[in-house]
Amino acid sequence: MPLETSGGRPVVYTIRGCDACVKLLRKWDAEGADYEERRVELSQTTLDEARRYGRLVPIVVWPDGHVEQGFGDSLGCFI
Amino acid sequence: MPIATSVVTPIRFEQGLTYAGFLAQAAVNRDKFEKNYNNPALTEDDLSFFRKAAALPHGPRKLLAIAEAWCGDVYRELPTAAHIADAAGLDLRIFLRDENPDIMDEFLSNNGKSRAIPVFVFYTADMRYIAHFTERSASAHAGLAIALEEAKTKLNLPASASFGTLVGPEKQAFLIELISRIEPYSDQWRKDSIEEIRQLLSTALEIPNAA
Repeated sequence: MPLETSGGRPVVYTIRGCDACVKLLRKWDAEGADYEERRVELSQTTLDEARRYGRLVPIVVWPDGHVEQGFGDSLGCFI
Repeated sequence: MPIATSVVTPIRFEQGLTYAGFLAQAAVNRDKFEKNYNNPALTEDDLSFFRKAAALPHGPRKLLAIAEAWCGDVYRELPTAAHIADAAGLDLRIFLRDENPDIMDEFLSNNGKSRAIPVFVFYTADMRYIAHFTERSASAHAGLAIALEEAKTKLNLPASASFGTLVGPEKQAFLIELISRIEPYSDQWRKDSIEEIRQLLSTALEIPNAA
């Protein structure tokens, strides 16, 4: 998963209790990645926003618009 | 599995949220909980079984749930637990997983590696453990495994492909295919959970799985 962005930061939709989300953020933090985290468990508006992109967190929306769901070797969490 | 000395004492149990209290604190998915509560998967036969079990001298009187409102498995299954409690006169208390790690630690799944929810734990009136159910039924897990294989076949992926080995667009196509295959089974999974909970209680209480 490339972390370079051409014109902005990736947005990552997460749940802090989701192991796959935690693993992704740990990896990015270790790499010094710049990103915007939006926690879906805190707001219905944010959850609805995330559901426009997918059903499994973490959901990453890259600046070029492409979307990735899940991370690592687990299914992630359904939202 | 439950340990001999549980952190779930009678006093701790009373500190759990009621179903109404859980919904009141939920920041998300209230519509999903409401939808599943208003369309219960339980039959009259199911309710009769749970009433009968609760009427036994050693039957369930308390039902502990570990949950979080953001979890899809929870908003699918917790309304069922609320209906069982209502019908059988059980005291339902709900504990948020991420605020109660000591309770969660007693009911880890996947050989102690997963904090899967929901967990429903049945206790006697004096807090003796009877049985517990975690996340989804065995048949739902089997259905998920079948869906995984079908998705691989449809996308011409090797049999060895998994979440860990797939990357990039191939992984995303796999996940989208998998999700589309399991979403239609939500109602069936609810029914399967009820059957599994009945079976668990039937075995633990040594009573027939019949109303």
